[in-house]
Amino acid sequence: MFKKLITESMGKSPWLFHINAGSCNGCDIELVAVLTPRYDAERLGFKLSGSPRQADIVVVTGPVTKQSLPRVLRAISQVPEPRVIVTMGSCPQSGNVFRGSYSIAGPLSKYVDVDVDIAGCAPKPEAIIDGLALAMKILSDKRAAMYKARKVKPAAAEPAASAEAVSEEPVSDVSADPSPDTAVNPEGGAD
Amino acid sequence: MTVFLDALRYLAYILIFPGFIFCFLTGMLLCGIDRKLVARMQKRVGPPILQPFYDFFKLFGKETIVPAQANRTVFLLAPLVGLAAQVVLQLFIPVFSFSAFSGVADIIVVLYLLLIPALSVILGAASSGSPYAGVGLSREMVTILAVELPLVLVLLAVAKTVGNAMGTGLCFSLSRIVEYQVANGSLITKLSMLPAVAAMLLIIPGETGSHPFDAAEAETEICEGMLAEYSGAPLAVYKLSHSVKLLTMTSLFTALFLGGACRWVEKLLLGIYPAMAAGIAIVVEIIILFLICAVLVAVCVSLIHAVTARLRIEQLFKYYWTVVTGLAAVSVVLAWYGL
Repeated sequence: MFKKLITESMGKSPWLFHINAGSCNGCDIELVAVLTPRYDAERLGFKLSGSPRQADIVVVTGPVTKQSLPRVLRAISQVPEPRVIVTMGSCPQSGNVFRGSYSIAGPLSKYVDVDVDIAGCAPKPEAIIDGLALAMKILSDKRAAMYKARKVKPAAAEPAASAEAVSEEPVSDVSADPSPDTAVNPEGGAD
Repeated sequence: MTVFLDALRYLAYILIFPGFIFCFLTGMLLCGIDRKLVARMQKRVGPPILQPFYDFFKLFGKETIVPAQANRTVFLLAPLVGLAAQVVLQLFIPVFSFSAFSGVADIIVVLYLLLIPALSVILGAASSGSPYAGVGLSREMVTILAVELPLVLVLLAVAKTVGNAMGTGLCFSLSRIVEYQVANGSLITKLSMLPAVAAMLLIIPGETGSHPFDAAEAETEICEGMLAEYSGAPLAVYKLSHSVKLLTMTSLFTALFLGGACRWVEKLLLGIYPAMAAGIAIVVEIIILFLICAVLVAVCVSLIHAVTARLRIEQLFKYYWTVVTGLAAVSVVLAWYGL
């Protein structure tokens, strides 16, 4: 019963952490617009958190410059499991107009498992909310999958000392499963 | 046998009614009402009222990260100590005529216990080793200092007024203060107490660290300050003790100034259904207490949150030591002259 409660709450209280990886600020402003009275993402339980330790959903904007890459990866690894990584705008997915530039290390999916892509330059607030709602569902699914994994192999707790190596595994397992729904958000086009 | 029954009764007090479960449910509900009201005042739809419950249970499902440079024991124990102190404090605050531990504790104990949750946050933050937490905890200490002085003066004014009437000089017992109000009407109706009431209404947001006085948390500049390194279950416990603090401060206000608000309930019930009057009265009183707490939260937490911007820490200090302390001091002087 407790597990069910936690899994359900997981999909109702997503706290966002926003990383700007060299973005032009367009997406950043749109993300804040989602929290304004007009769109009010807080009605779904969203909250912007200042510290990655308290976050559930990491929103990355910008084309992931070479300078920002190590910081982005470090910040993402500080987010406690289960976590969902969302790329916002076209930049972290493809490089957008910065593609091929000498200073770009992206796309982000080369380095981490991205769960949701919100396309657009910049995406509409409606598209952002749609993508984040999907992220909420994935978050809850991931928690359920973690419980299931623990039930199947009780020895899973032991190698937790090397936390990084272990945490990579279930993440890639889960994101492989629902990959059809996590494809690029169709609502994306801004103009 | 009676010892056993007494033990059982006290256990029920601690775990169920004025204790843990009651604190959990009402504190979280008050917190949810606060968030909803702020959202409505800003013309938003706002989160569901049950949102704090979702946040709480979600945090229990998250991984708990202890920073490498943190002191593990202090880091993990500090939130529990804070929550325990908060719940114990709630046990000592009478619910109108009902008090779980009457005669054991008085205002002085309440003052001490009010400090412990804040100190536990400071301890946890200091042990986390984060610079954001460092800035946050120095601000929190200033906030405690700022709020403490007017709070002591308010309590002194109440103690003197009740003591004068009872002929004992100063009356520090909370249950006596409530008894006096049940017999003679609530203290809020006394003219000399009105400045103290105003001061207490301003102390509530300061003590709970809500918006204009939240320099110590300051989400937008220092990432929730002291909680910056916390994640998972310890963070959930901090959030819980923060929302219980809303309940504690508002019910302390009720005990100090609105203690006589329910004296008609028992009389009325004795007239209608004398057999179960005491039992039903306590249920009615709990509901009335919750409503009063909700109104207090709406007025002095949500409303002030929605219409003000955050004060800098030195502005906060100046405000409390001039305006609020001044209001409380007026009440103390009036009480001393027996008005």
